[in-house]
Amino acid sequence: MEYAVEMRGITMQFPAVRANDNVDFSVLKGEIHALVGENGAGKSTLMNILYGLYSPTAGEVYVNGRKTEFHSALDAIQAGIGMVHQHFMLIPRMTVAENVVLGAEPRKNRLYDRKQAGKEVEQLSAQYDFSLPARAIVRDISLGMQQRVEIAKALYRKADIIILDEPTAVLTPQEIDELGNMLQQLKSIGKTIIIITHKMKEIMDFSDRITVLRAGKKVITVNTEETDANQITEYMVGREVHLGQGRKSYSQEEVMLEFQNVSYQDKVKNVSFKLKKGEILGIAGIDNSGQKEITELAAGILTPDSGKIIHNGMEVKIYSAKEIKESGTGFVPQDRHRHGLVLGMSVEDNLLLGYQRLAEFRNKKVFLNRKAVSDNAIDKIKNYDIRPTDRTVLTGKLSGGNQQKVVVARESSRAKRMIIADQPSRGVDIGATELIYQIFSDACKKGESVLLSSLELDEILAVTDRIMVVAEGWVTGVVDSSKTTRTEIGMMMVNSASKQEVAE
Amino acid sequence: MTTKLSRDKMLSVLPSLLIILIAVVLISIILLATGANPILFFMNLFKGSFGTKRGLINTISKAVPICLSAFAVALANKVGVFNIGVEGQLVFGALGSAIAGIYLQELPAIIHVPLALFGGILFGMLYAYLPTWMYIKQQANLMVVFIMMNNLAKLFSTFVIIALIQDPASMVTASQPIQKSAYLPMIMTSPGKLNISVFILIAVAILIYVFFYKTVYGYEMTACGVNGEAADYSGINTRKYIKWALILGGALAGLAGAIEVQGTYFKLYDGFSPGYGFDGIPIALLSNNNPLFMMVGSLLFAALRVGSNTTQIEQGISGEIVTVIQGILVTLIACEYFIRYIAKRSMTRKKGRRMTI
Amino acid sequence: MSKVILLTLTVSLLRLTVPIMTMALGNMFCERAGIMNLGAEGMMIAGAFGAVVGTYFTGNPWLGVLTAVLCSMIVSGIHSLISVEFGGIQNISGLGLNMLSAGLTSFLCRSIFNTGITPSVASIQTAGFFKNIPVIGHFLSQFSPLAYISVVVIFVSWFIMSKTVLGMHIVAVGDDPKAAETAGINVWRLRHFCVTVLCGALAGLAGAYLSIGQLSFFMEDMTAGKGMLAVIAVKMGRWNTKYVVAMALLFGFFDALQAQLQINNVLHIAPELIQTIPYLAGIITMLLSSRSKDNPRALRVPYVKNKYII
Repeated sequence: MEYAVEMRGITMQFPAVRANDNVDFSVLKGEIHALVGENGAGKSTLMNILYGLYSPTAGEVYVNGRKTEFHSALDAIQAGIGMVHQHFMLIPRMTVAENVVLGAEPRKNRLYDRKQAGKEVEQLSAQYDFSLPARAIVRDISLGMQQRVEIAKALYRKADIIILDEPTAVLTPQEIDELGNMLQQLKSIGKTIIIITHKMKEIMDFSDRITVLRAGKKVITVNTEETDANQITEYMVGREVHLGQGRKSYSQEEVMLEFQNVSYQDKVKNVSFKLKKGEILGIAGIDNSGQKEITELAAGILTPDSGKIIHNGMEVKIYSAKEIKESGTGFVPQDRHRHGLVLGMSVEDNLLLGYQRLAEFRNKKVFLNRKAVSDNAIDKIKNYDIRPTDRTVLTGKLSGGNQQKVVVARESSRAKRMIIADQPSRGVDIGATELIYQIFSDACKKGESVLLSSLELDEILAVTDRIMVVAEGWVTGVVDSSKTTRTEIGMMMVNSASKQEVAE
Repeated sequence: MTTKLSRDKMLSVLPSLLIILIAVVLISIILLATGANPILFFMNLFKGSFGTKRGLINTISKAVPICLSAFAVALANKVGVFNIGVEGQLVFGALGSAIAGIYLQELPAIIHVPLALFGGILFGMLYAYLPTWMYIKQQANLMVVFIMMNNLAKLFSTFVIIALIQDPASMVTASQPIQKSAYLPMIMTSPGKLNISVFILIAVAILIYVFFYKTVYGYEMTACGVNGEAADYSGINTRKYIKWALILGGALAGLAGAIEVQGTYFKLYDGFSPGYGFDGIPIALLSNNNPLFMMVGSLLFAALRVGSNTTQIEQGISGEIVTVIQGILVTLIACEYFIRYIAKRSMTRKKGRRMTI
Repeated sequence: MSKVILLTLTVSLLRLTVPIMTMALGNMFCERAGIMNLGAEGMMIAGAFGAVVGTYFTGNPWLGVLTAVLCSMIVSGIHSLISVEFGGIQNISGLGLNMLSAGLTSFLCRSIFNTGITPSVASIQTAGFFKNIPVIGHFLSQFSPLAYISVVVIFVSWFIMSKTVLGMHIVAVGDDPKAAETAGINVWRLRHFCVTVLCGALAGLAGAYLSIGQLSFFMEDMTAGKGMLAVIAVKMGRWNTKYVVAMALLFGFFDALQAQLQINNVLHIAPELIQTIPYLAGIITMLLSSRSKDNPRALRVPYVKNKYII
């Protein structure tokens, strides 16, 4: 058995962190190999090295038995490696054909040979059964189709080794199955596939072998048939995970938040639901189905085009993030770097953000009471296990998990009625994730409510009381978490134009 | 914790010092290329500005409008925008002050002085209003609009002087003299001229210091400047801050212009500002919006301006050298990220860890 | 309006559009690749000065054009170094280069020639070899050969952007440099090329036209805002060759109007106010337009090589 890829002793040292620590990683020719680990384990970094985007601090890379030193993506492409990134590398204003051939365009005397490109893309499309619309503009096609364009790009450049980075993040369960079939098909014609993921189902269903990374180091490589999901999770995390186990419901009848026929642009369509006191209501759906907008409407960031939003019995007349926050609603936004934190300010200052006008932080109305600010920071850092414990450190230096803890600490401690959280576990290690969901559970015990949006179906099933499923801006179903299944939810995630239910 | 604080402070000051050093080197090269002696140049600068009592007083006096301009730029920087229209706002403000100074008659000084100053402030604010509106409502490119406005201010001011308020007895293009009641009270006239504008400046500096560092509003402005989107999401009204930062910047610039009219020239000369508004830009950027550093920087720039008279006389070096220095500093500031990267690398490199970069 | 005045106005319009248009095309390449260039004025004035200095010392205006291009490319090269390589703040770099270039050209002018205006040098204001063409020969020969070069530039620009692979790559690099990098394109080399070579050369051409194509000397601040108008023209023209040229013509019209009114002051407006016309035109144009969705999506966002990330 030959190795398609051998990476020996790879170390990648960034100024602040060692992303890969003496990692050995080998992939056999013609296999599907899963590279797994939780957020921050170093998987993407390792593959970026393989694809030539980073130069490793130490270590060697062998492709098809030959030692290589890639200085750019072009080098990797020429060695037969293709990569499909987590966030698509497409130019929205160009056509599918133009995107597929980008970087290796067919030419006719220095001119771009549009006809030839179209022909070749159609050929490729037929060969692999992609049905790509060669002349369509990329910004107009679906995400699933865009991913196929990405894969076509790699195949067009004659890649024999294809790396897929978190390919299923934006797919419905059905599309994920289709992807699985496509991977099998590629394998059958001799391609080698490396798939980076942290989703258990894909790991177990798709791969032949699995390599687990944890905190930059390689833990183990196993044959998929010889292991199971629990064992892999243990390898990934280093201990057993108890997400949502032994959960009690604190749901009451009183309604904290109600949406009545709320619409917003083409993202949210006639959505109605009720969030009860003491309950955790999850919002499930594929990415960009309107969850972000629903959470932002509830938090007062966006103003609905039509419909009513009722907080605690009172209809909202003026949508202002400030007022809704002051009425006791905490908001953990989807993009913590852009919207939740000011990375250039200290942890102490970030623990204050949004609440600086409260009386406890003010001194004679105009001045900031610095002592109160630092006391607040010290308190939060201790209670929410934020590391490093220095409150004057710039927030940009914290890890993803700790940054999220800052946001959650700030919002949940001040929220008196409701916490709205959008993908709180994204990019966050499992330890912090557990803590965050524990915080939400404790909040419910105190009579607060949580509106939680997440793309991680397993998490939603484990930690919520009820789940509202959205697709293309519509609510397609509301179910009891303990009584539903992945399949049922999966079907609701695609079933858009059908009846929408009102959550009771 | 003290070591970390002082390390971080050092890290923030280092890039600015490095930039100034590089600028000095580059200026020296340019001077050498045109046959001038750079060492003599810096000596003459010093001699002309700090070497004599008269020079020192004049330097301090000149530092006032420069510093106010720097404050105006810093105010905008704090919320994350660039107010490079300070020069135009300064000129327009001077116009307002001159008009109030010339045409309001029979007023006691105690009313006329502040009124004319206010005229300058008002005109400065008005001149900042259109670009601000265009930026907020239409997302127009603020810098481009400000640059256009700067050019317009100069032309418009010349027009007003010639067409409406010209002094026929004057040899150069200038307005009629302002009423004596609008003159800024002097602190001393010999060895150099110094008026109360220094006190005005100190008052403004203290106000800004307290505002930036001690108030809730200062905190909110900082958040706006570093990450406006997060500030928005947290409930801070970023648009209001941006609007006021720009308009109040116009006010400060207008005040600077008024001070020049009422305290230095006592009339409005065409082209009286050699670019005070532009001086403010590198000063604010290099000082990281710190009022104390800005005052020091303004003194240095004022020294440059006053001292360049000496270098002109002694060495025949054209006064344009100041604009060259402005340009070098601002261009270098643009590479700040990279300079900070170099500074950081030299400070965090430890022995034994090989870095392939 | 009499026929003579109409003709004069047209000739004036075409003449005055040239520098704005050439610079605008240079800026278009620059911005399409994702780099904002507020330093257009600085590049132009460097070219204008370089042209005169080159002609002064060699006696040959075409060598002056070469010097102009070289000088402009030095300025654009610095901008490229800061913006592309160092990932610096593009707007400040442009602003700083404007100030530096204006100051340096003034300073050098005064140092060498002792005044703010250079003595007259050989110039190329007319295209003599058209004279012999019947009927339109006289009309055509009124324009500088540099103007004709600029017309060729229009077609070349359009050709590059719409028909060549280079044009596709430029768009890709300006929209999503990461996507371009992963497709194997050398983002930095291409951006350097667009800023230093394409933008710089065109700025040099525009600047040379100002000093030795329209006149025969260099004067301090002779760009008088034309660089800024070029910047506005690119945005209003939605980074598309055809529309950018159209916007440049619009600004050229106002410039011509201003020049004509100064000579022939029918409305008896003060000369300073007449001079404000182009600036007002710039601002009003900006007032009337709204945010465009066509902009290169990565415009003004620095894209540093992975090795430079802190």
